[in-house]
Amino acid sequence: MIVAGDVLPVPRANIDTDQIIPARHLTRIDAEGMGEHLFEGMPDGPELLARHPGAAIVVAGENFGCGSSREHAAWALLGRGFKAVIAPSFARIFAENAYTNALVPIVLPQHTVDMLMGARRITIDLDAETLRADDGEPIRFALDPLRKQFVLGGGFLNFLQAKIPAVRAWEAAR
Amino acid sequence: MPLSLFDKVWEAHVVEELPGGNALVFMDLTVAHEITTPPGAIAIERDFDDQLYDARRIVSMIDHVAPAKDSATALQAQTVRTWSKRHHIRFHDIGDNGICHVLVPERGYVTPGMTVCCGDSHTCTLGAFGAFALGIGTTAQAGAMLAGCLILQRPKVMRVEITGALTAGATAKDLALSVIATIGFRGGTGYVLEYSGSAIRALTMEQRMTLCNMAIEAGATTGIIAADETTAAYLAATPEKPSGWAPLQADPDAEYAASITIDGSAIRPVVSWGTNPGECSPIDGIVPFDAPEESLAYMDLRPGQRLASIIVDQAFIGSCTNSRIGDLRAAADVLRGQRVSVPTIITPGSQAVRRQAEREGLHDIFQDAGALWTHSSCGPCLGMSMGVLAPGTRCISSSNRNFPGRMGDGGRVHLAAPAVVAASAILGRLASPSEIEAPAAVPA
Repeated sequence: MIVAGDVLPVPRANIDTDQIIPARHLTRIDAEGMGEHLFEGMPDGPELLARHPGAAIVVAGENFGCGSSREHAAWALLGRGFKAVIAPSFARIFAENAYTNALVPIVLPQHTVDMLMGARRITIDLDAETLRADDGEPIRFALDPLRKQFVLGGGFLNFLQAKIPAVRAWEAAR
Repeated sequence: MPLSLFDKVWEAHVVEELPGGNALVFMDLTVAHEITTPPGAIAIERDFDDQLYDARRIVSMIDHVAPAKDSATALQAQTVRTWSKRHHIRFHDIGDNGICHVLVPERGYVTPGMTVCCGDSHTCTLGAFGAFALGIGTTAQAGAMLAGCLILQRPKVMRVEITGALTAGATAKDLALSVIATIGFRGGTGYVLEYSGSAIRALTMEQRMTLCNMAIEAGATTGIIAADETTAAYLAATPEKPSGWAPLQADPDAEYAASITIDGSAIRPVVSWGTNPGECSPIDGIVPFDAPEESLAYMDLRPGQRLASIIVDQAFIGSCTNSRIGDLRAAADVLRGQRVSVPTIITPGSQAVRRQAEREGLHDIFQDAGALWTHSSCGPCLGMSMGVLAPGTRCISSSNRNFPGRMGDGGRVHLAAPAVVAASAILGRLASPSEIEAPAAVPA
């Protein structure tokens, strides 16, 4: 599967989920309507988005998605048309939420991320686990081998549902 | 092989090892509140025949916006309410509610050695009981409700030993902030922080909860503290009076992926000056000269500025970090006989805490001082209701996050212990409780 898009560079560390989607928008009982509020909590967020219309891949600094566990952060990125986030590191819960929702979280070293900040377009080959910035050489990355299937085909809850008999057996033998 | 406390809890809950270092981990309890639960509950109803793994392993409540502030939040609350009743889930509606991380332990729902998850990052609070408790997303929570399990990467364990004893002026909040400042705002990522040492053993359960509550602010999966006689006494006094749990301890020769030691007697009252909780300094100090420019620009501060010179517009005592009865007593000790000079909101962590505070007359002390005494809610901590900041205004807060915009667009947050918030509310600037003079005794 190929994921490609223009870059939204966010050259800062510690972009927390309150900045990605402020709590005042966490008032729905579904995952809809989050995209229009993406990065509203980031001081220059709306301007940044306006300067990169149609961007689909966030390239950001360390510890992206820290703070609140709100899955709304992943929903807001997806709702705005983003397909992947590339950063030197992610907060655990954000990365888990990203995988679950098929928003590709890609970890690369800081110097590679710095280089990608300047790219216009990135093309990601999920099967080969490589990406290219513009016409550059392929860059290898590694996805979680288990969670990759949720990016490729969804089915997070179906995967768990299939485990219920094993879980019940485990609990009975506990 | 000798094991850490965390490793023992983890290994007792692994149902199945999964590829890539993942594991299927059984959850003894899932905590469900109105903000993050509805989409998952609705997905289970729609796609999985409304089947829950075991409704007895769920406890739910209205906590974030209580009562609802508008139609949207009312629908969130109503969704959790009807879902809870339909499944006979233990449910705490407004009036009988509290912030999940305050209510769940005070009822006695968490015991040592348990696993607990919730769609809320501060679930790490419950690690104070020797449980493995962690925050997760909405869909992962739905998975725990559907199949009783989470998919998790096994975290590494960092031993955080706090030696000596805290001095009189230092609190668990100061310790929590100091730990983050020491290991860094993302220094705990990939780790569980396993707290030990004489200063930890001396903490009350409420103080242990304050400390573990902020493990997430260092990026850690959670914090955990071994149960002891303090834990047993606390649990015995809860409504549930849980029994049948056994205290777990780390093996003496357990190996840790990382280890740090902090001298507890060196912990001083601190306040944050930046835009993450690791950016804090002793309250009698200054904004550091090497403070990040971006943080200071947002906070409208300059390097070298005395922290005690920073004027505040609002004060807030509440949140899952510092809203328990001990926190309110500490605030009341400062506010007794005084007047606040800025709008001050005091929000108990649960209705049970509220009632206890009122039995002790604390609500009179607060209201005599001019503070607003509210019912329980997450309140303005996350900028949702009951005291959201205006742009450009500054709040001294006993909460846990000073991120840009956290308590309201353009709002600036300084984090501190409740007594520091109370002192600052009186003087209208960041202030230490030691600066407040005791009111003159009233002649009989």
